[in-house]
Amino acid sequence: MIERGDTLLAARGLTDADDRLVNADEPLAELQIACGGRIPGMLAVPELLELVRQARGMGLRIAREFGAHDGEELVTGFVRIQPRPDSEGAGCEVLVENWQRHPRTLAGAGEFAEQLDAIDRASAEASGRLDARQRVQLVNAGAPDAQELEQAIAREPGRVWTDYVTLQGIAHRQPLHWRLLDGAHCLLPGSQRSWRIRLLPLGSESTAPAGFEWLLVPEEPLAEATGHGDEEKQAASGHSRLIGSALTPVLRQPIARIIANAETIRARLAGPLREEYTEYAGTIAAAGQHLSGMLDDLADLEVVEAPGFSTAREKVDLADAARRAAGILGVRAQGRDIVLDLPGEGDDCLATAEFRRVLQVLMNVIGNAIAYSPAGSRVTVRTHRAEGEEGQHRVAVTVSDEGPGVTEQQATRIFDKFERLGRDNDGGSGLGLYISRRLARAMGGDLTVSGPESGAEVGGAVFRLDLPAYPAGKPA
Amino acid sequence: MAQPATSISGDLTSVEGLLREELARGDRSLRGVAPVLAHMLASPGNAMVTDAIVARVRGMLEHLARQLLAAERAERMGDAARGSADPPEDVDALAARLASDHVVLGHSYVLAMESHLAERLERRASVDPVLSPLLQELIASEKPATAELAMATLAAQSRFIQSQRRMDMPLAELPAELFLSVIECWQNAASESNREDVPRGAVDRLKRSYDEGASRGGLLARLVSAMGNGAVAALELEHAGLALFATALASRTRQPRDNAVIACHESQAARLALAFRAAGMDAAAIERQFLVLEPGISVPEVIGKLAPDRAQAILAQSEARVMDIER
Repeated sequence: MIERGDTLLAARGLTDADDRLVNADEPLAELQIACGGRIPGMLAVPELLELVRQARGMGLRIAREFGAHDGEELVTGFVRIQPRPDSEGAGCEVLVENWQRHPRTLAGAGEFAEQLDAIDRASAEASGRLDARQRVQLVNAGAPDAQELEQAIAREPGRVWTDYVTLQGIAHRQPLHWRLLDGAHCLLPGSQRSWRIRLLPLGSESTAPAGFEWLLVPEEPLAEATGHGDEEKQAASGHSRLIGSALTPVLRQPIARIIANAETIRARLAGPLREEYTEYAGTIAAAGQHLSGMLDDLADLEVVEAPGFSTAREKVDLADAARRAAGILGVRAQGRDIVLDLPGEGDDCLATAEFRRVLQVLMNVIGNAIAYSPAGSRVTVRTHRAEGEEGQHRVAVTVSDEGPGVTEQQATRIFDKFERLGRDNDGGSGLGLYISRRLARAMGGDLTVSGPESGAEVGGAVFRLDLPAYPAGKPA
Repeated sequence: MAQPATSISGDLTSVEGLLREELARGDRSLRGVAPVLAHMLASPGNAMVTDAIVARVRGMLEHLARQLLAAERAERMGDAARGSADPPEDVDALAARLASDHVVLGHSYVLAMESHLAERLERRASVDPVLSPLLQELIASEKPATAELAMATLAAQSRFIQSQRRMDMPLAELPAELFLSVIECWQNAASESNREDVPRGAVDRLKRSYDEGASRGGLLARLVSAMGNGAVAALELEHAGLALFATALASRTRQPRDNAVIACHESQAARLALAFRAAGMDAAAIERQFLVLEPGISVPEVIGKLAPDRAQAILAQSEARVMDIER
């Protein structure tokens, strides 16, 4: 193990032999998710992945700088990677020091605009030339769904470009000044996609261009096989997949754009702005994040509700799972001064379940405990062994907090779908506990809640995840 | 030499082949004379290759070879191996083998150059090669973690200067890629010379004890990274000392550290000026740095007009072949 007595350490993560990130502290976990990855899931931070592969390939402890974009900011740090021996899973331990975020530095406005133009030129799927009065001189359709536009222009050449397309959100009589049309959105005949128009003036005089470079940039890739090959989606095949696979990809993109634009406004990247407005932008961004989290929940919901849904049966060390979940949530707990009291190292309480699902349930329950108990209080996680009915061995994890607790009436409703217990402004979807209980039951266990244990000094809710025990004496 | 018309005995063929090979080797040596001689004649003051540098590089390669052979011996013989030395011809053969790896050779050269430049800076501008004012400040940092890292860096830097004086190069100080190249050289040399293969245990032991983050290069990079935006301070040569300076410059201009070191040689003024500009320094600041390093060189003021990312792009195009380290 690499020494890490110092406080420069910002995050620790573990990867397995296939470079999947199996667990990570919060900053690293957030970066992984911002880069489009999951936990556990393939390491999604390209520079880190490269370094982890390198270290694993060489079998050497390496120490390198790395940088990554999380979509909003440049994240830099110094990473030390230690390959683990085969006996410990043949992955790598990843330690990140000096985690730093830098707001994206924008080059001079002119240069920045040039870069944007270059990006649009590269991503345009149809392009052409317009004369000084915006009449189409020629067009080249690269994408199949732009062919119809090309044919329309061939049938009736020489008209203003806006005659061939349906402009969106611009009702003014055409043609408008080119500056107002540059960046407009439109629909093309025969195309399902939304397109963005760029008009780049030609000639030296910018007030009266001699003509225009006409770029048609699609807003999304041409829809074809959209399957992500996700095992969960395959498991859900045959089930009506309205939200998870049908709506999620469609919603994700506009929501991501709302968040990105709101963040841009909030950070005043486009220029100075009054304080209130940046706050509004912050609210918009937060609402967007909420929607985005909701989408994830809805996708999960569909998976657990699919008729064929099942979980893997593997040996899970509950204390270890609890510690990992707490590790990921550690920063959030610190932020609220909440002490996480976890089962100790020697505590081995083995269940038969699927590790990542157990982790998901525990993260949900511990996350709730952190969110709903008073700042400065304590959240206690314990493992238990119990004799079940008919001699079946059961194991359990309990998570108890010092929050307001749950009444008996609430306890019956809390696991219902979309139940928020009257809270409506804290970013929850009302699905977390429902999904968690479904997961627990799919693994042959259950998730229950009770009020404070009799005799406990402080009140609070106690959530209990029961699971079948891993048979004693069975080889690991 | 005319070919004998009659059938040739097997012996004679092999003799002929041997001579041919020798002659080719001689040709190669001869070809090397002119460029080396021309280089040394053309740079009377501070050549990039001097006797001192050659001697140092040779010493370092031999030291590497000795460490590898010692590891092998220890693996085979255990404690009995202690104290005895490897035959000089084995050391020479392995050192020659390492010298034929251009990446290993290049890095050794750069380290020799770094210590040479550090000595020069000490003489000329009284820049302490081990403890610079910046490092002193970092050791006094309020953050215990930074202070600890700075202390470790100080120790590593002092070991480096010491081992350079002894013309040594500890295996553990190599960058990871080079460490592997050296191990590979060693294994190839063993299998080609019909000796026994290098014992697997020896290789594993060396690999296990290796930690790039604890090497001088690793510590310097971690320290610079810990300084965050304050790392700009390390771009002041007099203040930071050559070691931190080179690491900070490399980090800010995203080039290998070896290139940053080489840029400090007087014949590489353009490389250094471009690197400074790529790091975002203005003409006046660049001028000041050159005054410390090479008072004889004047920097054209137009350098300030070059956009930093252009400077970066030009730098990236340079080949800098001697230290072709993939990063």
